Amino acid sequence: MTNKSVVLNQALLFGTYSVILYFLLYHFNDLILDFSKQGGWYFIIPIVIAFTFSVIHGAFTGYFWDLLGIKAKTVRKN
Amino acid sequence: MTNLLKATKVVVVLCLQFIIWSASVQAEVGNEPTGPFTFEAVNLADIETTDQITIKVSGTTGEVSWKAKNGEIQGTGNEVIFIASGKPDTEIITVTDASGQTGTLKFDVGGFLALTLNKIIFLFVVGFVGGLVSGFIGSGGAFVLTPAMMSMGVPAIMAVASNMCHKFPKALVGSMKRAKYGQVDVKLGVVMGISAEAGVLYGASIQTQIKEAFGDVGSNLYVSFVFVVVLAVVGSYVLRDAWKIYKQSGDANAEAHKVTKLAKWVHSVNIPGTMMYFPSIGTKISVLFTIPLGFATGLLAATIAVGGFIGVPALMYVLGVPALMASATELVIAFVMGMGGTIKYAISGYVDVRLAMIILAGSLFGVQLGAIGTTYVKDFMVKVVMGVIMMLVLVSRGLKVPVYLAEIGEIDPLSPSLVSFLDITSYIMLIAALAVGAFIILYALVSGYRKHTRKLAAESAGLVEQSKSKVTEVFPTETTQLSPIGRFERILFANDNSEFGVGAKREAIRLVQRIGGNLSIISVIVNHSANEFMAQRTFEKESQDAIDNLEVVKSQAIDAGIDCTISVHQGENITNEIISASEEKHSDLIVIGRRGKKGLLQSIMGDRTNEIIYRSSCSVLVVPKAAKIKGKSILLAVADGSHSSDMAAVAAGKLARHLNAPLIVLSVTSAKLKEDAEAIVARICHFLRDDGVTVESKVVVNEKSATTIVETAKNIKSDLIVVGSQGCADLQKTLLGTSVSKRVIGTAECAVLVVKT
Repeated sequence: MTNKSVVLNQALLFGTYSVILYFLLYHFNDLILDFSKQGGWYFIIPIVIAFTFSVIHGAFTGYFWDLLGIKAKTVRKN
Repeated sequence: MTNLLKATKVVVVLCLQFIIWSASVQAEVGNEPTGPFTFEAVNLADIETTDQITIKVSGTTGEVSWKAKNGEIQGTGNEVIFIASGKPDTEIITVTDASGQTGTLKFDVGGFLALTLNKIIFLFVVGFVGGLVSGFIGSGGAFVLTPAMMSMGVPAIMAVASNMCHKFPKALVGSMKRAKYGQVDVKLGVVMGISAEAGVLYGASIQTQIKEAFGDVGSNLYVSFVFVVVLAVVGSYVLRDAWKIYKQSGDANAEAHKVTKLAKWVHSVNIPGTMMYFPSIGTKISVLFTIPLGFATGLLAATIAVGGFIGVPALMYVLGVPALMASATELVIAFVMGMGGTIKYAISGYVDVRLAMIILAGSLFGVQLGAIGTTYVKDFMVKVVMGVIMMLVLVSRGLKVPVYLAEIGEIDPLSPSLVSFLDITSYIMLIAALAVGAFIILYALVSGYRKHTRKLAAESAGLVEQSKSKVTEVFPTETTQLSPIGRFERILFANDNSEFGVGAKREAIRLVQRIGGNLSIISVIVNHSANEFMAQRTFEKESQDAIDNLEVVKSQAIDAGIDCTISVHQGENITNEIISASEEKHSDLIVIGRRGKKGLLQSIMGDRTNEIIYRSSCSVLVVPKAAKIKGKSILLAVADGSHSSDMAAVAAGKLARHLNAPLIVLSVTSAKLKEDAEAIVARICHFLRDDGVTVESKVVVNEKSATTIVETAKNIKSDLIVVGSQGCADLQKTLLGTSVSKRVIGTAECAVLVVKT
């Protein structure tokens, strides 16, 4: 499998996860807000959501730019 | 990355301690009817955005008319339905009867902002631009996002809380990305982040005291004053410094990092018991310097939401951290502060996670792009972007100062139209600051990317030319070869300077000694850093060790009577460097050591060995540490009558002639296919005998192919097993599985040559 197809597969995989996460956030929006506005130990809800989104969506955005060929410049010295 | 995880753990523990400290704040919900009428409504205190309730009024005369400040009134008469607006705000309902009497009902609409598509798109776009700037300069975006959310109707405290909640995951992703490029000093980030957290708490308490003493106007004036003073002093210094670097170098290729006198002094101070080494500084400094800087960063973050306006310049000018590393390390500080702040607000129930995640959706695209952008620019570009943004924000906040001064009576009152003009202009300037910053970053990224691509294309064109001329010049008479597969004239040895490479080094030299040809020895230094300064620093240090080691290997080769070339390659991925070196040098064979311990298949054969075999376009010789190719015998393992088996036979035959070793052609097959296998082996033996090689054939019926091959090699004391590239297809398919070739390479005591077709 070439690098490009690996990146494409990963981008699609994490893109799908990301869409699912945003759909779940939209779908359970009332429930999540009901919990989070209670405060106290419910503080954990926004924190967990933020971490989960950062991992999944962060991976997707990384692969997305990679797929478009926008990569960091590498330094090579001979 | 491990450091980052450790740092995250520390932060989580600190944040949990911080929770205990935090005081929760409860929203006040009022319910104040005024006038001659009596209002009746259920749960008015609990009403939230978009809720519907029935409100009844009594004591009126004749027809009544209803009016709501934000929400909607449905129906007529003394009993109507009220639909709360999408904004959490104070609602005022006014009722007027036929006699002209008026009554009002005032209450707070709680809950969270109702989102529409326009608002979502707006937040996504602002998030993207904010993320782009953050990824590049380590902070920014917050100064626009908070007022942007407030302008949509989000209460100030929720806007700040939601901004924080998007900020820490964004900073986490940004810092991880930039850590990949070697730009992050995690240790320094965490040390400063902890003191920054203290600064945030102190800054928040100052804010509260000012608000209590002077009200909202006093608080706003204080914030604007801090903005103006800090940005005027620091921003002008940063911009002046960037301009100086640019002027001195005469062009945009300015190399950047110069340690200030102040930083040199900080480096020279030795306070026993407080000294700590930071990789980005390259020396030990006293934490007594980092603590106040972190504290000031936190203080500013709590006041104007952008701690990086102090943090990054402090890292650059006081501690002597290169600009790119300073902006990357600021992301770690932002993560620590953002997480602490989010927990504080989340405990009070102020975090609107929907807003935060919508902004995050855009900002994670931006932060990755901004981080990538840093690898295409020189150090001083961070200073340019930061300086320009600071100056524009300075103007924006400066415009608001007369408004606040007029409100507290220090100057004559301003006309409403002037106040409105100043408000709008100030807000536009904020957006312009972000937009201009984003434009400079994108421009630098695009131009840097194009330049880099052109350079690569030119190098590639040069290589093609070189390759053409060399092919004509070097191999004009090589017509006796049946295939280039059997040619071992350009041998590349990838030296990893470890105990695992000892056998490979020895056999690479011996092979060239016997066969002739050229030997190239390379070492690869892994350096993810695209930061020129750090890359240079790391490269110089590690490359010296690598060159020293390569010189030793070279002297061993010279002692053995062969000449060789040595080179050090630097890159993010060792395999990529080895493969590209083999392609650049048009190698016929790559010689590598085998890593790991016998007995554990997964650890026996590292992924790197697999990857090199799979990706290389030439043959690969894998040599275990203790293996020696003495030429006792060579075992050729053939799977079928395919092209790859024939190519392996050609290569094995050539080596057998050079080493003057007998060749055993082995096929391990099932009982059903035994006859076919015998025919294939006979055909190969016939071909090799014609070529003057001493050949024996062996067909074994056994299901365990790999074990049989390895055992046979051991029994007949073969010191080399040759397999065709068919095995590589297996490798590709079952890198983590149990392919025959992988098992052979992983478990054989002798060297294994994988012949590529």
